[in-house]
Amino acid sequence: MKRTLQDYKSVVAPIWCPGCGDYGVVNALEKALLDLDIPPENIVAVSGIGCSGRLSHYLNAYSLHGTHGRAVPTAVGAKTVSPELTVFAVGGDGDGLGIGGGHIAHAARKNADITYLLIDNRVYGLTKGQASPTTPLGESTKTSPFGVYEDTLDAIPMFLAYDVSFIARTTSIRVKELTDIIKAAVTHKGMSIVYILSPCRTFPILDLEETKSLFQPLPEDHPRDNKLKAMEMAYAKDPMYMGIFYQVQKPTLNERLDLEIEKATRKHDGGKFYSMEELFRRFS
Amino acid sequence: MSSGGFKSNVDFVVRIGGEAGEGVVSCGELFAQAAARTEYHVFSYPTYPAEIKGGFSMIQIRIRDWTVYSMGSRVDHLIVFNQQAYDKTIEDLKQGGTLIYDPDAVKVVDGLDATKVAIPLDKITTRVTGSKLGKNVVALGVLGYVFDIGSAVLDKLIRDRYGAKGSAVVEKNLNALAAGYEAAKSTGIARDVHLGTKSDEKTRYMMLSGNEAVALGAIAAGCRFVAGYPITPATPIFETLTKLMPMVGGRAIQMEDEIASISAIIGASFCGEKVLSPTSGPGLQLMGEQLNLASMLEVPIVIVNVQRGGPSTGLPTKTEQSDLKLSIYGTAGESPRAILAPSGVEDSFYQTIRAFNIAERFQMPVILLTDQSIGYRRATVRIPALERIKFVEQSVSSEKIVIPDPEHVEIASRIEATEEDLKNYKRYRVTDDGVSPIARPGTPGGQFTATGLEHTEEGRADYTPGTHMRMTQKRFKKLDVLSRALEKNPPEYHGSPESKIGVIGWGSTEGAIRDARYLAEAKGIKFRHLHPRVLSPLPENQIRHFLVGLKQVIIVEENYTGQFAHFIKGKFGIRPVEIHKYQGVPITPEEILRGIEKVARIVDEENITRL
Repeated sequence: MKRTLQDYKSVVAPIWCPGCGDYGVVNALEKALLDLDIPPENIVAVSGIGCSGRLSHYLNAYSLHGTHGRAVPTAVGAKTVSPELTVFAVGGDGDGLGIGGGHIAHAARKNADITYLLIDNRVYGLTKGQASPTTPLGESTKTSPFGVYEDTLDAIPMFLAYDVSFIARTTSIRVKELTDIIKAAVTHKGMSIVYILSPCRTFPILDLEETKSLFQPLPEDHPRDNKLKAMEMAYAKDPMYMGIFYQVQKPTLNERLDLEIEKATRKHDGGKFYSMEELFRRFS
Repeated sequence: MSSGGFKSNVDFVVRIGGEAGEGVVSCGELFAQAAARTEYHVFSYPTYPAEIKGGFSMIQIRIRDWTVYSMGSRVDHLIVFNQQAYDKTIEDLKQGGTLIYDPDAVKVVDGLDATKVAIPLDKITTRVTGSKLGKNVVALGVLGYVFDIGSAVLDKLIRDRYGAKGSAVVEKNLNALAAGYEAAKSTGIARDVHLGTKSDEKTRYMMLSGNEAVALGAIAAGCRFVAGYPITPATPIFETLTKLMPMVGGRAIQMEDEIASISAIIGASFCGEKVLSPTSGPGLQLMGEQLNLASMLEVPIVIVNVQRGGPSTGLPTKTEQSDLKLSIYGTAGESPRAILAPSGVEDSFYQTIRAFNIAERFQMPVILLTDQSIGYRRATVRIPALERIKFVEQSVSSEKIVIPDPEHVEIASRIEATEEDLKNYKRYRVTDDGVSPIARPGTPGGQFTATGLEHTEEGRADYTPGTHMRMTQKRFKKLDVLSRALEKNPPEYHGSPESKIGVIGWGSTEGAIRDARYLAEAKGIKFRHLHPRVLSPLPENQIRHFLVGLKQVIIVEENYTGQFAHFIKGKFGIRPVEIHKYQGVPITPEEILRGIEKVARIVDEENITRL
């Protein structure tokens, strides 16, 4: 029986504010999963805390809605033991770049084959309007009543420095482009980050009009394997580019760990695993 | 453990002391390994007198004709490499013991009541190896002669240890070994202990550290995913598992911190794997929030906390039992978990398996609380009879699973959702025992959300009063069922049932309390000794039974505030005498005996008064 979009929706209806950009993300994600023909039972979606963290509740999948900032290492563990499953980490700018920012570098070093949907609305929305790492300098929020005095975290160049093997940026208001990018990210073997600018209607630090005007696709001939060029395009502010900045092939974490097993067993009885008795003997 | 077939009346302590970096500990480990390959039982522990700081290190080895329970305190044979080692340890040498020393480095006081054997270790080393390196092997040769260890045992030890470094290195070390052996022989020292060679009866033994025992226990229990971060003194568990896991088709990955480590094992356990993360107190503190998450998601995980001296960075290389309250209570909100404390090296293997059985069957985090003194001690451990390891069917009730011991090991796994369960699947269905079947990702029809928010039986976020009450009860019901199961176990106490004094300990002090009991009995003082392995939930009826008829209870622990005593006092309303040691070194049988003798006098006086 052919699956439909409905097969990817859980029975729980979203409680995001009307007009929230996150609706665009969940719609694009469902469409991408349908197009890729991934059965719902083979999807693991790990999310953090924040408005975007609720996304896992709305997906018909094996979902894990955990704590603030820990979606990425949780997804790494899930993928390591279940290479056959499609594993997502989902979170916002506070979750992924604030409290959980330290984890991205190390998931990238492992090149865990997970897709990280980082949804940036430039504000802490669920806690009702505090400054996030991507709130622009000078912006007034509830925790920056005299304007933000910290510089803005520029995430794409950071991901490039970490050598995340697939890096894309797009927005949630262009569901078609977002769907295509999510499909490319899921198909990519290795760690993929889809950085999604997503307007918040309630705390419009990033408002809808601004999001629309931001969108400028990367040139067709952008060389995705050229990190310096990707860096240049990522730093450009006017226009601000969207699309796949960088994509390289590296062994995935599962491939690296399979190699460990091969190295550990190759001299043993045709590559068989060691028995418990043999392990005990090593200590006698 | 039976002592059948072994020689009797052999029990002695060897201590080696010198400058850190001179190979003191490696010499001791090699000697302990050699002794373990003979017919005797061995216990070794690198230890440091509490008042000494700096570059002095030593290792103590106790050799006995049956199981060794503690490191002992009086030294029979003392080997010192330098003056500092002599000055700091000579007072621990038994009267009439043997002192082996380097006459070029150590000045011995006149009138010392000991057999003095001067062997120029430095000079011999320089002559044989052309450098100062290799003194540990020269000293091993000396010990090999003094204890009459067969040359086959010694040679094999050198080949095992240095074989990977090439034949030239092996040759050099064999020469150093022979030089030490000959030097000892030429002194004409009397040999009253003959360790001989391996006997057939002792072929099924390993020489394990407590940390290695945990690693092997995890593999035996079926754990195939480990995530960790280096932290003293738990690192050897992680190192051992990074080496062994791939050999059995498993994976052990190093994460960026302890928060990431526990997150990764939660993710892996969510996908159906048995998982573990080794750490020490500061790491456990970092894990706190995720530990709560595992309780809330009802994901089975095992955390090993090899306790060290605290607080803060504290005494990373020393021992303490000071994370009990952190383990039982330390998190926001109320989240059920079980706390297990192995009593020694061998028990670490079995309690690790038990930790997995409890975590898997009750779908909660289990913290295995060991400490530096178990983790770093090495002891001879019988190889478990593998034919006695059984995998328990899902239909077997959790209460019927036996406690793993050298005679029986049962390995349990989580209850998985059946086709019937999946028809109208509720991941958090309220059941009689609080345990709801788990659907493994990849299973069609089992999709659900596991959320750290309070949730309904279906796993949907819900903060209504009834839901929070019902689901809190559901999660805690699992602890009640576990507690009831514990009551059915054989009582965990030893000693005379008529005694008026009871001693309660936990974790690594078991051997010292046991040896204190033997010493006390020799002096006509009787006490009974309770040593629960599951510290939370406690088998309360068993403990009440233990307390019946006692005039005085003594609680022994290695911390300042009396954490277990606080727990026991709160639960049972008793007023125990507390013996605390907080010097970073293990408590000795003699120290415990001194406390017991004082209590025994008071109890006697009370008896007289009442007459």
